[in-house]
Amino acid sequence: MSVLGPRGQAFLWALTLRLVPPAAGAPPEERARSLAVADGALGRRPPAVRRQVRLFLLALRWLPALGYLRPLDRLGGPAQDRVLAWFQDSPLTPLALGLWGVKGLVYMGWYGRPELGERIGFRPVLSGDEKSRGG
Amino acid sequence: MRSRVEDREFDVDVEGSGAGGGPVAKELAPLSREGVRIAVLEWGPRLRDVDYTGRELEMAERLYRDGGGFFTRDRTVTLAMGRAYGGSTVVYTGTSLPIQGRTVARWAVPGLDHRDLGERSEKYLRENGAHLLEEGELNENNRLFREGCRSLGYHAAQFPVNVRGCRGTSLCNLGCPNGAKQGTHRVQLPEAERQGVAVVTGCRVERIEEGACHVTVENPGFGLPSPWPPGRYRVRTRLIVVAAGAIESPALLARSRLPVRLPALGRYLTLHPALILVAQHDRPVVGSRGHPKSFICDAFAESHRFLLETCMYFPFVTARNLIGFGADHAAMMGAMDRLQMILALALDPALPENRVTVDRHGEPVVRYRLGDEVLDSLHQAMLASARIFFAAGARRVHAPAGARFFLVPADAARLEEAIPRRRVRPGRISITAAHLMGGCRMGEDPSDSVTDAWGQVHGLDWLYVADASLFPRAAEVNPYITVMALADRVAQQVRERLARA
Repeated sequence: MSVLGPRGQAFLWALTLRLVPPAAGAPPEERARSLAVADGALGRRPPAVRRQVRLFLLALRWLPALGYLRPLDRLGGPAQDRVLAWFQDSPLTPLALGLWGVKGLVYMGWYGRPELGERIGFRPVLSGDEKSRGG
Repeated sequence: MRSRVEDREFDVDVEGSGAGGGPVAKELAPLSREGVRIAVLEWGPRLRDVDYTGRELEMAERLYRDGGGFFTRDRTVTLAMGRAYGGSTVVYTGTSLPIQGRTVARWAVPGLDHRDLGERSEKYLRENGAHLLEEGELNENNRLFREGCRSLGYHAAQFPVNVRGCRGTSLCNLGCPNGAKQGTHRVQLPEAERQGVAVVTGCRVERIEEGACHVTVENPGFGLPSPWPPGRYRVRTRLIVVAAGAIESPALLARSRLPVRLPALGRYLTLHPALILVAQHDRPVVGSRGHPKSFICDAFAESHRFLLETCMYFPFVTARNLIGFGADHAAMMGAMDRLQMILALALDPALPENRVTVDRHGEPVVRYRLGDEVLDSLHQAMLASARIFFAAGARRVHAPAGARFFLVPADAARLEEAIPRRRVRPGRISITAAHLMGGCRMGEDPSDSVTDAWGQVHGLDWLYVADASLFPRAAEVNPYITVMALADRVAQQVRERLARA
C-alpha cells in the first residue's frame, strides 16, 4: 500500500526532476518503478518516520507559497532550485535535515534500481572477475 | 504467532553472533563435549549463498538494521549496523588491523595490556586468513590513493584482509556473494556448530534476568528459517554473554532493569564519524572491480585526529552522500566508472553525554553530538583528501563542505577557501558511522564503567559483555579484530567460571 498516495507521489516526482535532471527523459514505467522503490522503502520505516516525511513534504511544497504565492511544484525550474538550495543550506537544522531525508528518498528511487547500473557506469560482476581475483 | 511462552534450557546464552559472539561461541564450543549446553541467539537471518544478490537496496534490507537507515536522535549521523548470522562481520570489508599500543595506553583499563590483546589479535588474524593482497590484485581506486599519498609524503599502509578466494566483486558491504570473506559466519560459527553449539537466528532478545533470557523468534521471509518455530520463549540459562554490538547491548541491559546501579551504562559512545569523498578522473577507475579497501593513511591520527581509507560505495549511498543536486550531481553520478573514493573517519573523544538510552518501547535511542573537535577533524580530513585526489590526477573533486559542488585542480592551491570550515555543520553534510564503540565500557570503577577488564558486568556474576561496547574509548583503527581479541578474553573468563562451578 502506498504511503505517499497519488498526490504525494506526484510531488515526489516533481522533486525527482529537479534533483536528478536525467529523470526528465524517463518513460512512464521507469517513473513508476522509481516511485515504487521510494514509496516501498518508506513503507518499511516506522510509522513515526513515515509521518515525519509526509509532513515535511507538505511543508516543502507549501512553504514557498509564502514568498512566491504558489506551491513549489508550480514554480519555474530555477525558482524551484533556489528554494531547494535554501532548504539545503538552511541554518535551521530540521529543514536542512528534512531536505536531506527527502533527497535520500528520491535518490533511493532513482539510483537504488539495479537496472540503472549499466547507464551510470556501475557494473559489478556478481560471479567475480578473473583479472581482479585476490586472496 | 502463538501466545504461549515456551521454555528452553541451556547453560550459556550468547546474545549476538558477530565479531564478539562468534569467537565466544567457538572458544566455548569444546565444552559441549562435556555436556555444557551453549546457545547463540541472533536477531538477524541466516542467508543462503543464493540470497547474496549484490543488489544494493535488497541486501541493505536483508543485512542491516533498518535497512542501513538507523539515525542518531538528532538525525545528523546514520549508523550502519549489520544484523545477520555473523553480525557486522558479514558486511564489513574484512580489513584486519590490530589495535595500537598507544590506544590501549589511552584506554587505561587496569588488567588490560597491549601485549595480551596483541597475542589474541594475532590468533584471529591467523584463524581468519588475514593477509596482504598482491600488487596485481589491487584495483585502480586503491592504487590512486597510494600514489596520491606517496606524492604528498603521507604515510599509507596496506590493510591485511581476511579473504580466501576473493573474486573481486567489490560487494563486501552487501555481503560477499562468493563466500570469500572470512567473517564469523564462515569461520567461528560453523566450527562452534560442528562441536554442538546451537545457533538460533531470527531470535530477538527482549530482556534478560538472572537465570533466563526472554526472546521472540520471527522469520523474516528470506534466508533459512529459524531452527525454532516463531513465538515467544523463556530461555533458562546459568550465564549470559551479551554481544549484540555497541547500540543493542547497552539497550538490552537498560531495558532489562538489572538489579544493580550502572551509571555509565550506555555512555561514552564513540562512532568514528565518517564522510565519503569522491573525485572524478578522466580515465576509467572502475572501483566496482577488485577488493574495495586496501589502504589506510594514518598520517594525521595524532595531529588532527582522523584516518583516511580507500572505499567504494554503491550508487544510492554515493548519491545520498554527495551534497547538492541537479546537473552537477547527476554528472558525477553518471561517471561511477571514473570515480575515486576516500572514507574519512574522525577519531572522536569518549564523552559521557554521547550515549545509548531506550524509549518507552525499549528500542535504542542514540544521543550523539557532533562537537567542534570532531567537525574540525572532518574539515581537516576533507582538505587532506582533496590534496590526495588532485595529487592522484583527479579532474574534479567533490568535498561535502566545498564552496562549489566541484573543485578543480586550480583550487588545490587554496583549499582552505574552497572548503571553508564554516560549512562543516551537522545537518549540512552527510555523516555516517559503522565503527560503533562503547556504552558498556570496561574499567575498574563502577561509577564510570559497566564491566571489569574481563567483560563481567559490575556486581552481576552471571552476566558478561563481549563486543565493541566494551571499548572505553575509540579503537582509532577498524575495530573488528580488537572486538575478537576482547571476546577471546571474555570466553576465557567464562570457561574458568564454568570450571570452578
